[in-house]
Amino acid sequence: MNRKKIAVISGKGGVGKTSLVASLASIAHKDHDVNLIVLDCDVDAPNLALILPPKSKEDIITQDMYTTKKATFLEEKCTQCKQCYNEHFCEFNALNWDENNNIPVIDYLACEGCGACKVLCPESAFEINPVKSGEIISYETSSELPLIYGKTKLGSTTSGLLVSEVKEHTQNLEKYNDTNLILIDGPPGIGCPVIATVSGLDYVVAITEPTPSGLHDLKRALEMVNQFNIPFGIVINKADLKSASQKQLNRYIQKSSHEILGRINFDLSIPEAMSYAEPVVDYAPESVSSQAINKIYAKLKSILLQL
Amino acid sequence: MLKSKIICVTGGKGGTGKTLVAVNLAIMFKNRGYKVLLIDGDVENPNTFLLLNAKLKNKTEVHYFLPKIIEDKCTRCGLCAENCETHALLYIKNSYPIPMSTVCSGCKLCYKICPTNAIEPDLKVIGWIYTASAFKIDLFLGELKPSEARSAVIVNKLIKNLEGVIKTEPEKYDIVILDTAPGAHCDVEALINSADLVIPVTEPTRFGKLDLLRIIELIDLLKKEYKTIVNRSSLLGYKEKFLLELEEKGIEVLGDIPLDEDIVRSYCQGIPLMEKSRNSDKNGMGYKSFNEIFENLMEWGEFSK
Repeated sequence: MNRKKIAVISGKGGVGKTSLVASLASIAHKDHDVNLIVLDCDVDAPNLALILPPKSKEDIITQDMYTTKKATFLEEKCTQCKQCYNEHFCEFNALNWDENNNIPVIDYLACEGCGACKVLCPESAFEINPVKSGEIISYETSSELPLIYGKTKLGSTTSGLLVSEVKEHTQNLEKYNDTNLILIDGPPGIGCPVIATVSGLDYVVAITEPTPSGLHDLKRALEMVNQFNIPFGIVINKADLKSASQKQLNRYIQKSSHEILGRINFDLSIPEAMSYAEPVVDYAPESVSSQAINKIYAKLKSILLQL
Repeated sequence: MLKSKIICVTGGKGGTGKTLVAVNLAIMFKNRGYKVLLIDGDVENPNTFLLLNAKLKNKTEVHYFLPKIIEDKCTRCGLCAENCETHALLYIKNSYPIPMSTVCSGCKLCYKICPTNAIEPDLKVIGWIYTASAFKIDLFLGELKPSEARSAVIVNKLIKNLEGVIKTEPEKYDIVILDTAPGAHCDVEALINSADLVIPVTEPTRFGKLDLLRIIELIDLLKKEYKTIVNRSSLLGYKEKFLLELEEKGIEVLGDIPLDEDIVRSYCQGIPLMEKSRNSDKNGMGYKSFNEIFENLMEWGEFSK
C-alpha cells in the first residue's frame, strides 16, 4: 500500500471517534501490511492517549509550539493620542481604552495577532510577538506504535494551526519513511480545526449515531468533506438504538448512496474497555463491537488499497 | 436586582449532553414564569432547534471581510502584502496582489492602509443567524456554512445581538441560556466570557473527566463561577467513584442525570422532557433529577424575575 492519510470525524461530538480510532489503530498495528502512525488532532480535548498510553513516561517528547501571535503594547512609545481606540484599529475588539491610566489595553483572549495596531499606530507603540499556543506530544505506546497529539494552551485562539503542526510533525519521526498509514482522531464540529484535519487526506471515516443531532451533524460534516473532494465512508455507532431517527438515517443513506463501512451495535464492552483504558478489540476481542470493528477495518483496508 | 442572568452550558467533551441540559433548563425557567432566551452558540453543529422541533425564521447572512483589489486604482506598490501578518495577499513585483481567502484574518488592515484606496471590502457569506420560538422560549441560533472555518465571527455576532437586546430591551428576558460547542476554543471561550454562571456537563468516564478538567481550567482563567452536572451518571456504576474524584478536586456538583429512556424519547420527539405539555413520566429518573438540578440552580444563582 502507498502511504495513505485518513481521519475519523463525526460532526457531532461524543459519538465514538476516539474509541473507534483506538481499536482501528490496534488492529492496523498488528497487520503485517501496515506501518502505522496514529495522531490525535482533537487539540482542544485530546483523549486518545488515555487508551493508547506511552510505554514509559521517560520516552514522552513534549515540544512547545508558538503558532499564535499576539500584540504587545509598548507604553514608553505611546503619546496617548487615542487614535487606536477612536479609529477602531482592531477589528476583533481586542483594543480597549483604560480611562484611568489613559492608555490602550489589549484583550489577549480577543487579540488575533493580525498586526493592524502595529502598522496603524503613528508612534509604533505596538509589537506583534509569537506566544505559546500549545504543545505537541509524541511517544511510542507499549506495543511500539508511534503516537502524536497536540494540546492547545487554553485561551490561545488558533487550534487549526496547531492541528496542521501535529500533521507535519509526523515527518520528524524516524519511522515516517516506512509508514504507509497515518490514522487521525479528528475533532468534533466542522470548523477550523476539522478543516485543518481533513485537508490533504486520502480518505475520511465519518462516524455517527441514529439520533436527530447525529444525522444533522453528519450531513453537515459530509457537506464539508465533499467541498474538499475527499472520498469517505460512514460508520454507524449505537446502530441498534431504539430511536425514531433510525428511519431517517436509513432513508438518507439509501438516497445518498454513500458508502457504509459498517454498523456497531450498542455494547457495554465499549465503555467497560474505556474504563480499563484499552481499545475494545483488545479488552473484549469476542464482543459484538470488536467483531464489527474488525469487519470495518477489513472493508476500509480494501478501499484504501484501491485508492 | 438581578444577581445573575446569563448561564452558559458547556462541557469540553462532545456528546455529554450540553444541548439536552441547556434546552431543559430553558424550559424549567419558563415553567416558573421566567422570560427565557436560549442562544445556540454551537454554530458548527447547532442542535437546539432539533430538540425543540423549532422552525427557524429570520435568516440573516453573516459576512466576512475579504480584500477585493480594484485594478484601476491599484498602483501595484505591494504595501498591502508587505504588511499582512497572515500573508493573505500574494504579491509578485509589478503585478496586482492576489487575496488568499483561506488565510485572511479579516483584520481590514490592507483596506485601511492602501494609499490609493484600491482595496474594497468583498463581503463573503460564511454563515447565518436565525431566530425561532418554541414552547414560549425565544431562540437565537448561529450556523456556520459548511467548508467555512471562521466560526468565531458567527459566535461574536450572536453575542453582539444579545448585547443589543439587553441594551435596548432590558426587560425582555429574565434569563439567557447559552449552549456552546464542544472543545475549549475561541467560540466556547467567548460564550463562557459573556456568562454570569457556567455549567459544564460531563459524563463519568475517563474522557469526560479529562475534558472537564480542561474546561474548568478555561473557566478559571476567565474567572467565572461554575458548578458541574454529571450526565449518564448510572453508566456502569461509576457514579460514586466519579463524584468522589470530583469532590477531591474541589469541583462542586449541581446534580446528576442517570440514563433514562424517557430522555432519549423526548429528544427524538422534539419535545423537551421538562416541557409541561409533554406527558413525561413524573416519577422517571430523568424527570426527578432535572427537577433536583433546577432547585439547586435556583439556590445557587439567586435569580429574580
